[in-house]
Amino acid sequence: MKFTLDWLNHYVDTDGHTADQLAEYLTMLGLEVDAVSPLHQELAPLKTARIISAQPHPDADKLTLCEVAVGDEILQIVCGAPNARSGLNTVVALPGTTLPGEMKIKKSKVRGVESCGMLCSERELALSDSHTGIMELPEGTAHGQSFITALGLEDTMIEVDLTPNRPDCASVIGIAREIAGKLQRPLRLPVEGARVDHTSRSFSVDVESSELCPRYAARLVTGIKIGPSPMWLRNRLTSIGLRPINNVVDITNFVMMEYGQPLHAFDFDNLKGGKIIVRSPKDGETTFTTLDGVERKLSPEMLLICDGDRPVALAGIMGGMNSEVTEDTTTVLLESACFNPVSIRKTARRLGLATDASYRFERGVDPDGVCNAMDRAVQLLSELADGTAEDAGRDVYLGRLPMKTLTLRVSRTCSLLGIDLHAATITTLLQSIGFLCKPKDDDTLWVRIPTYRVDIDREADLIEEVARLHGYGNIPVTLPQVSLSYPEQDQGRIKRTTITRLLTGIGFSEAINYSFSNDKYLDLLQLASDDDRRHTVRLLNPLSEEQGVLRTSLLPGLLENVDRNIRFQKTEVKLFELGKVFTDIGAATQPIERNRLAGILCGNRHGYASPLHFKENKVDFLDAKGAVEFILGQMRLNLPAGPTRIDFQLPGPDGREPFVVPGETLQVRHAETVLGSLGRIRPEILRSFDIKLDVFYFDLDFDALCNLVAAPKSFTALPVYPSVKRDIALVIPGSIAAGDLVNAIRTSRDALIEDVTIFDVYQGKTIQKGYKSVAISVTYRSSTKTLTEKNVEKSNRKIVDLLTEKFGASLRDA
Amino acid sequence: MEHELQNLEREARQELAAITANSQLEDFRIRFLGRKSRFSTILRQLGSASDEDRPRLGQLANTIKKEIERLYEQRQEAIRQSTSTADETEAQPDLSLPGRVAEIGRLHPVTQIMQEICAIFENLGFSVAEGPDVEQDYYNFEALNIPAHHPARDMHDTFYVSDSILLRTHTSPMQARIMETRQPPLRVIAPGKVYRCDSDITHTPMFHQVEGFLVDKQVSFADLKGVLTVFTQKMFERDLPLRFRPSFFPFTEPSAEVDIACVICGGEGCRVCKKTGWLEILGSGMIDPEVFRMVGYDPEVYSGFAFGLGVERIAMLKYGIDDIRLYYENDQRFLSQF
Repeated sequence: MKFTLDWLNHYVDTDGHTADQLAEYLTMLGLEVDAVSPLHQELAPLKTARIISAQPHPDADKLTLCEVAVGDEILQIVCGAPNARSGLNTVVALPGTTLPGEMKIKKSKVRGVESCGMLCSERELALSDSHTGIMELPEGTAHGQSFITALGLEDTMIEVDLTPNRPDCASVIGIAREIAGKLQRPLRLPVEGARVDHTSRSFSVDVESSELCPRYAARLVTGIKIGPSPMWLRNRLTSIGLRPINNVVDITNFVMMEYGQPLHAFDFDNLKGGKIIVRSPKDGETTFTTLDGVERKLSPEMLLICDGDRPVALAGIMGGMNSEVTEDTTTVLLESACFNPVSIRKTARRLGLATDASYRFERGVDPDGVCNAMDRAVQLLSELADGTAEDAGRDVYLGRLPMKTLTLRVSRTCSLLGIDLHAATITTLLQSIGFLCKPKDDDTLWVRIPTYRVDIDREADLIEEVARLHGYGNIPVTLPQVSLSYPEQDQGRIKRTTITRLLTGIGFSEAINYSFSNDKYLDLLQLASDDDRRHTVRLLNPLSEEQGVLRTSLLPGLLENVDRNIRFQKTEVKLFELGKVFTDIGAATQPIERNRLAGILCGNRHGYASPLHFKENKVDFLDAKGAVEFILGQMRLNLPAGPTRIDFQLPGPDGREPFVVPGETLQVRHAETVLGSLGRIRPEILRSFDIKLDVFYFDLDFDALCNLVAAPKSFTALPVYPSVKRDIALVIPGSIAAGDLVNAIRTSRDALIEDVTIFDVYQGKTIQKGYKSVAISVTYRSSTKTLTEKNVEKSNRKIVDLLTEKFGASLRDA
Repeated sequence: MEHELQNLEREARQELAAITANSQLEDFRIRFLGRKSRFSTILRQLGSASDEDRPRLGQLANTIKKEIERLYEQRQEAIRQSTSTADETEAQPDLSLPGRVAEIGRLHPVTQIMQEICAIFENLGFSVAEGPDVEQDYYNFEALNIPAHHPARDMHDTFYVSDSILLRTHTSPMQARIMETRQPPLRVIAPGKVYRCDSDITHTPMFHQVEGFLVDKQVSFADLKGVLTVFTQKMFERDLPLRFRPSFFPFTEPSAEVDIACVICGGEGCRVCKKTGWLEILGSGMIDPEVFRMVGYDPEVYSGFAFGLGVERIAMLKYGIDDIRLYYENDQRFLSQF
């Protein structure tokens, strides 16, 4: 909602308060001011001028050589306008001025004659589209004055960002009422013309549904002379960004801004049968051309204004081309009505057509104000368009609502706001903006709600009014008196918070990607057509096709992040994301949302840590595996003595992710449940993400991990007796996994074995082709005695025998 | 015997003074202080001394032993120092080199701010709850007193999945979800992702909010001001001026926007605060009786307040981030700054 300070001053005296102060009052009343802009600043250097002589230019037919008086100066100016004539008061831009549109005025020679400035048209000053000649200022305008002062253009535009509950303030009078209440000054309403009644003999009004149209008033104004509006009216409209059209249309727009009541003027001669019918479309009425020239599709629930034959307007939204006011109009049927907010909103949405009128009707106009606005418009039509309103008009008010009176408890008001106010104070506050209060009993007030406050229906609404008018700043600051209770915490969230923090400790940074994705990524990952991740949730109104679905995997986002980082020369990438993926199970229900934890690794293992201290090595498969083992370990899963075993298995072609290098991937499983996977991503898939480096990933079902039973923390007594370590170096066939040797030793159930680790794996020239050397370190310990050489030797031999027998291993020669 | 002890002391002093190497020192220790040393031999004779002399001689022996031990340690230290001085010329560490530490990663700034916000409210006794991103129209709108075709829906540019399913436009649905299943008193915050179909320099289609609400008997608007004042002071680590101004949310009545004095210009007026000196940081209000009625609470018995704040906005103000798009590009040059 835009208005100007000068306009506001017509209804309330704001003397002594600057535009910025008024803006502050409005903001603190809940009418947030978005902008305070002085108007016509760029016209400030312009001066009024008088042409004292005008001669034809010696060398050009269409140019006039003018002598122009500007205060004490007489200037010679060449002008091309046909209306440049001696005795004309006009406006001059002197050299050095920059006009709107960046036009710089300089002293120059026009066809050999010096010209010291420019006489301007309205268009050149961005005041209107008029460019038929230079501006003609009224007789008696003194020259040499500031142009904007002389024309009363000095003003400030204020823009309020209205909340949807305050349609009453979608009008200058509504804003003025708030200011008047704040400043405790009277509200001055405009003079309105003679009242409408419902005795017209020239036309009839028929409203089919009082629910859709509670009130419809119309009035005939004859003898209209269409023409441009006077400067003040055009200026009002342009100052708030509306384009002046002609006096009749301008008056309807002006009164709408003044009262918040949309009006429409029909050319009565184009209405057939002397009838107005407010109804829904009939069969066969499928389209209607609005006055902007667009053919609109009608649907049965829309509301139309029709004459005897056909629709002439989309009720409450826009008039029709077939009945609009034109240059030739002489009789106007002026409509002022009130329509059902929901119906208008549905139609406006459906047609994608939002107008100043629909904005107000959607939020609710004052049904009792319908005729005030019309009377005001009739008065202006007679003043500015020669109109006469002899006909008394029609007013069909079938949807009149009973007077709204609510009760307001003083005690409730005080306890809810945390303040101490008396009934008298509350009464003063509410009455300052038009509410009427009467005591009901010691604690209760009757409050009559003015009809323009369509937003006030309940005691709670009144309490808000009291708070607003009293000032939120005047309400004390206290802390709640509450009973102590333990805040129950979401365990899943705690686990997520913990794991994310721990992952930063091993060098991963956290990424957050959009939940939006695109099916193309599923193709890039080469997911099978029956892959679960193909069941994406599709948005009906995505911002772009690129973001048309919700993600079912975190990997595409992370791969895009890798690409971006590499493009900016950050080739060492270690990122993780812990976030939701969404699986569609039918558009009518909410999808399944699961938290997944995925990571991506590429480049140097130690990132940007100093190569002085950390040898530069590329990450490999085991870095990804290490991250997963770390996560499981920190979640106390897969601990040797824990209740939950998690296996890393080499998947076959069926269980393998389609985007991994076949021999470089593991599936993470708990019994039959797949918890996730890790591995190296195939280079050709990376190429489709523009990545040329090796990339490793892990991708885990975090919610599933959270549901597994974690090992409790419990103390084991520290060993009393010393341990003995034995290293075993073996040569085994290359196809045997070193981890299998370790597992075999661990499961051999020798009570003396405390720990088994692999400390070296080697394949090379000293080892026979097809074989590899594995060095294992075994720690022995007894809980009851110090082990002797003999004890250890016995156990160690058993292990070597076991491995020799089971895996064809042989002891490597020292 | 007394004489013997004194001789021993003199000899020990002379020998120690001449010692320059650790090997000599060890030899000295064995001969003078060890189990089979001369000193031990003398001490063993102490038993045969007269009862009269024994305490005096014992004390003397002890004093001398301590003195020799002290001298021995002194010598040992002197030798250690002289050898290490010699070593330094061979392998002296270059102290100007950077220290050695493995690189760690960072949490996303949005996560960090979100955790800070949650921690402040958790310290005030709020519990944390989360809800679905893909929400029913009912919880996102209807239960919050925003019926279909209410103009307030214009305040939410909503992504729809179907007529009744949408991406939540705020975290407020958690009010209804929690009140539906629990009874007051309640103190809850609900962090999470929210979505609006809007994308420009100041808007991303996905962002993060934290919703909070408190319901009990006798909760007032003054309490709302109190809790949010504590929050902003803790969040911005200073006593920032705060401004509550009336606004409109269908699910609160009265509703308030909360502004803080601009953290960039201190209230003087700058580009960030659009010359107003104030920055809007959260929306809040007393929970509307209609919302209570829909979950079966009696608004005559219970009252409460609710608030919602944008995490990215707070991160922008706290860290001075000036481009919201940076949040979702996951550029490590950005992430590593926080």
